[in-house]
Amino acid sequence: MKQPMPSRMGFLALAICAALVGSCVKKPQVPPPTEAVPPPQPAAQPPAPAPRDTTPVPTPPRLSSSDFEPAFFDFDSYTLRADARQALDHDAKLLRDNADAGVVIEGHCDERGTAEYNQALGEKRAQAARDYLVAAGIPASRFEVVSYGKERPFDPGHDESAWQKNRRAHILLK
Amino acid sequence: MRAPALACLLLLLGAAAPGFAQQRDVRIDISSGQGRRIRVHCESLAAAGDKNAHETSVQADEVLAGDLETSAVFTVTRSWASGEQPFDVQAVVGGKWTANGNQIKLSGEVRDFPARRPILVKDYRGAARDWRSIVHQFADDIVLQFTGEPGVAQTRIAFVTQSGREKELCVMDVDGAGLTQLTRDRSIALSPAWSPDGSLVLFTSYRGGHGPQIFVNAAAGGRAYLVSGRPGLNTSASYSPDGRQVVCTLSQDGNPEIYLLDARGGSPRRLTDNRAIDTSPCWSPTGQEIAFTSDRSGNPQVYVMDREGGNVRRLTYEVDYTDSPAWSPKGDRIALVSRTGSGFDIYVCRADGTGARPVVTGKSNENPRWSPDGRHLVFASNRDGDYALYVTDLDDRPPRKLSTGGRTVLSPAWSPRPASTRSAFNLNPGQ
Repeated sequence: MKQPMPSRMGFLALAICAALVGSCVKKPQVPPPTEAVPPPQPAAQPPAPAPRDTTPVPTPPRLSSSDFEPAFFDFDSYTLRADARQALDHDAKLLRDNADAGVVIEGHCDERGTAEYNQALGEKRAQAARDYLVAAGIPASRFEVVSYGKERPFDPGHDESAWQKNRRAHILLK
Repeated sequence: MRAPALACLLLLLGAAAPGFAQQRDVRIDISSGQGRRIRVHCESLAAAGDKNAHETSVQADEVLAGDLETSAVFTVTRSWASGEQPFDVQAVVGGKWTANGNQIKLSGEVRDFPARRPILVKDYRGAARDWRSIVHQFADDIVLQFTGEPGVAQTRIAFVTQSGREKELCVMDVDGAGLTQLTRDRSIALSPAWSPDGSLVLFTSYRGGHGPQIFVNAAAGGRAYLVSGRPGLNTSASYSPDGRQVVCTLSQDGNPEIYLLDARGGSPRRLTDNRAIDTSPCWSPTGQEIAFTSDRSGNPQVYVMDREGGNVRRLTYEVDYTDSPAWSPKGDRIALVSRTGSGFDIYVCRADGTGARPVVTGKSNENPRWSPDGRHLVFASNRDGDYALYVTDLDDRPPRKLSTGGRTVLSPAWSPRPASTRSAFNLNPGQ
């Protein structure tokens, strides 16, 4: 549409269009009506504050990534140990109680092994955790799986104590 | 005609090939004629031209001698080093270095000794800023003259530098000059691999924020382009020898498996189908077979399959817990790593899995990758402290540390020799 619309709406659309495309536009054009921005509604008044309730209502604490328990693994293994299943049972309950929470399951490895193999191993660990949670009734669509291999150790040490901390599947809120 | 002395030498070189060496020492058996080096004497290049000519010629002397020494073909004495005389040498290397403004001309000469009859006389010209490349060309021609195959002085190494939690992709000349950082993502770059023409580097990166994805970057610099960003793993990518396909690890179907993609990352075709981990694929130089790592028998082992995914067999039973296969450019050998208490040792075996022998041991030695002439392996090691890059000539000499300016570096990949033709790949997404 080439002809300017003499209405207030047209000028508004023109201004917005010019602001959006900036200096690229040599000749101001009014976009076709379908693209025109509707006139802004008058700003809504903030609702009047509700009368203060003197008794505090206990609000459920917001779910945080640190509420999830990591699942730990044996060396070069992606089999869920008993302690890992216990941790994931805890995590499954959190996910059931917070049905809108989407999460990333990160897979991690200790520093032994090649970078490439550990990326695959971390993927298998994160998948094992995800599969357990899906079997516990959490929809698969809530999970994203990312393997960091040995690239993001939680403990930079070079002994079994550090390595055990680093062999994990670890849940983070999106 | 070449001098009789040279003919004699070439005979000797030939005699060092497998059959002869096998009787004597299995370590030399599969390292294609190593163990005997040709003694050459480098004489200072005669400087001519402008006032900078002498200074650059002195640098050129050192670069040339260094190239010949690191070729693993020659043992070098230098006329400018005190006490180094042309004793018992087969040839002398020298010539004339003419610098005029922005232009350099190297008139290279190799003569037999002591008769000083010409073996190789050749002129090299180029821009003054490319003076190192001019010297490298001469060095590669000298190796060609003595062995029938050019050297690798003009090749480059891609690798990643680690700084804290971040890893960035870099390239440098094989002698450590011209180090260029290709990414500045403050993310994790891993596993570089060159295109067959040396113009592109494939790598894995977390830069997209969606886990590991495969990207490609021009080796000369510029931005990275996404090759595969499918859900899950996108790692361990390398171009087929004809450059038409990419082999890589994806987990889009739920498990880390090996796939073939077209060169731009499309049309994935799955090659492995196993509940275990399959990763780290590497092409045979003919492109007919692929070596890879799998834990299908419990812990990681290197397997070989044909390019359609059939005929899978474990490569070697002579070493355990193997990973990181690299097929030699002539197809006769495979380098791999085997886990030890402290990390990895590097082994080389025949392509059929026999004759495995340790070539680098002690601390951890990882990611072996062949030079295009198959005379060397580059690898990452913490043998002297922080991880650095080293080259072994597959003989009894200790590995040589590559200069990377003191950075912590990992995951090397040796480029092919420079191609005269332009890249067959087009990085411009608009076309």
